[in-house]
Amino acid sequence: MGSVALRNIRKSYGAVEVLHGIDLDIQDGEFTVLVGPSGCGKSTLLRSIAGLETISGGDIAIDDAVINTLVPKDRDIAMVFQNYALYPHMTVAKNMGFSLRLARQSQAEIDRKVKAAAEILDLTALLDRYPRQLSGGQRQRVAMGRAIVRDPKVFLFDEPLSNLDAKLRVQMRSEIKELHQRLKTTTIYVTHDQIEAMTMADKIVVMRGGHVEQIGTPLELYDTPASVFVAGFIGSPSMNFVAASAEGGMLRIASGEVLGPVTGDVSSGREVIAGFRPEDIRLSDTGIGARVALIEPTGAETQLTLRTGDASIIMTTRDRITQSVGDTVHFSVPADKLHCFDAASELSLTNRTRPQ
Amino acid sequence: MLRSDRFLAYALILPVVAAVVAFVVGPTYNVATLSLTQVVMGQERGFGTLGNFKALAADPVFGLVLKNTAIWILGGTVLCVSVGLAVGTFLAIDSRLTGWLRALILLPWVLPDVVTAMAWKWMLHGQVGIIGQTLQQTGLTEGTISFMGDPDLVMWMLVVVLIWRKMPLVALILCAAIRAVPDDQVEAARMDGANAVERFRFVTLPNIAFSLTAVTVISMIWITAEFALPWIMTGGGPANASQIMATYIYQQSFEFFNWGVASAMSVINLAMLVSIVALYLYINRRSWASEASK
Repeated sequence: MGSVALRNIRKSYGAVEVLHGIDLDIQDGEFTVLVGPSGCGKSTLLRSIAGLETISGGDIAIDDAVINTLVPKDRDIAMVFQNYALYPHMTVAKNMGFSLRLARQSQAEIDRKVKAAAEILDLTALLDRYPRQLSGGQRQRVAMGRAIVRDPKVFLFDEPLSNLDAKLRVQMRSEIKELHQRLKTTTIYVTHDQIEAMTMADKIVVMRGGHVEQIGTPLELYDTPASVFVAGFIGSPSMNFVAASAEGGMLRIASGEVLGPVTGDVSSGREVIAGFRPEDIRLSDTGIGARVALIEPTGAETQLTLRTGDASIIMTTRDRITQSVGDTVHFSVPADKLHCFDAASELSLTNRTRPQ
Repeated sequence: MLRSDRFLAYALILPVVAAVVAFVVGPTYNVATLSLTQVVMGQERGFGTLGNFKALAADPVFGLVLKNTAIWILGGTVLCVSVGLAVGTFLAIDSRLTGWLRALILLPWVLPDVVTAMAWKWMLHGQVGIIGQTLQQTGLTEGTISFMGDPDLVMWMLVVVLIWRKMPLVALILCAAIRAVPDDQVEAARMDGANAVERFRFVTLPNIAFSLTAVTVISMIWITAEFALPWIMTGGGPANASQIMATYIYQQSFEFFNWGVASAMSVINLAMLVSIVALYLYINRRSWASEASK
């Protein structure tokens, strides 16, 4: 068991409040990713759950037991650090068994648990090595092994892949996800990389400036973003935004052209931000005119930069492009793929049930 | 390498080699030969004798000097490093107080030897010293204690002053080393369930092993070479009770002109120092090796 409940978590450094009341429920066995730009408070929140930071207000509960004042070791939580934080003077086996040794477990018991964890992580051959003799990916696995041997209620990961090169990162991403599917331990994972969040999470918590911006499954966030921020953060390349006004149930952009029907309850004449994803744009004979500014083929798909008025629109398509730079094209966006955000609050005005 | 490059390389290191030969190898060789030479009243009387060493072995004072030197060097080094480690650990804590103390603690270290020695000599004076008087006035002792006059006490008093003088730099170096220990290792240890003592033992100490070794060796060399402090404070007295190698060598050579015997002692002193340092480096070879391979 390992459900986590956060109630109105606040954290201040002196007069500066960095977490402004975070509420979050994490079910037992769930893989939750905290994602947001740097400085959004996601790491502080994780460290507060770990007990490395004391919170200024609110309650942290694991399995309904409030653990606010417990020291880290009594919280039954294991953490994997960004820089691995391996003890350089201990072998892999000693690193992994350190917590058990501190807990005064018998050597036979320690050996058994370390061996079991090493087998899961494919580290058996490396048990007598020192951290400096390992590659980055191997160190990362040892850091995970150190967490696994304790069999804690909750795993915390603090940007564990950010020090690895791109290829290794993709590989470790699937390893961590597989590990979670195998162990089914509640996991809270911090990252600034939305791709990591999308691919790994059961539940994503998007944070911004010490607030929770939106909580949902990866596809909920993708399909029904609650704000311009979430819409722009989730998805790559990110969503296109253009200023528009609602006129007679239609969205009209600055050039006077009509983008599509208003989605949601928007009164006529209201200024809005229209949003649509690059992959939802279709080239057509009619629609909004634009000039092709850039063509970037990646093989599987092609990314086009279109200029219309002073707006820059990114579109991606899996079709082969016959146009060339400088050509004038027309594009349209299907009505059910249009998002509408309030121009001032930047909150979503679209109340659409998610497509199944 | 081109021939001319090689000449240039030799030419460039020549000044250093010359300086080392002139100021290190030369005098050492001179002392070594002198230790094997019979000297009477400052006059050299024949090379190739172990007479100086035999004379030392027969000298009853020399045994006392060896004992005092052991207290001075070993006691001084052990206390200097352990007190320095304790103070350094305290200074490594982040606070406004420790920020000020980190600057202030160097004060004993920047004072000249002579000033330190004179100040402490007066403070520890048997009749008028402020330390003895304070102890008497607060009723902690019956009368004033003759710190420098008591043969059982004087050597340890010298060690105390030595610690006061040499410990600050040790503390500062170790403080810097402790502050350089990666935070995430300490935090990982907290998550692993280590209490403060265990974190110090299993994370901090191994991480500062290199600095600790270096600072121990350096302290030992400093203390062995320290002459002004004991010479000014006691001059080896009372009745040789605080006579150590450094002061006895000085006395033998420049007061009694027994240069042969003094040189023999210098050779013994050097051999001791080299073997202690070599032993220490051997014991700690792992921390050096691991540091080098990072």
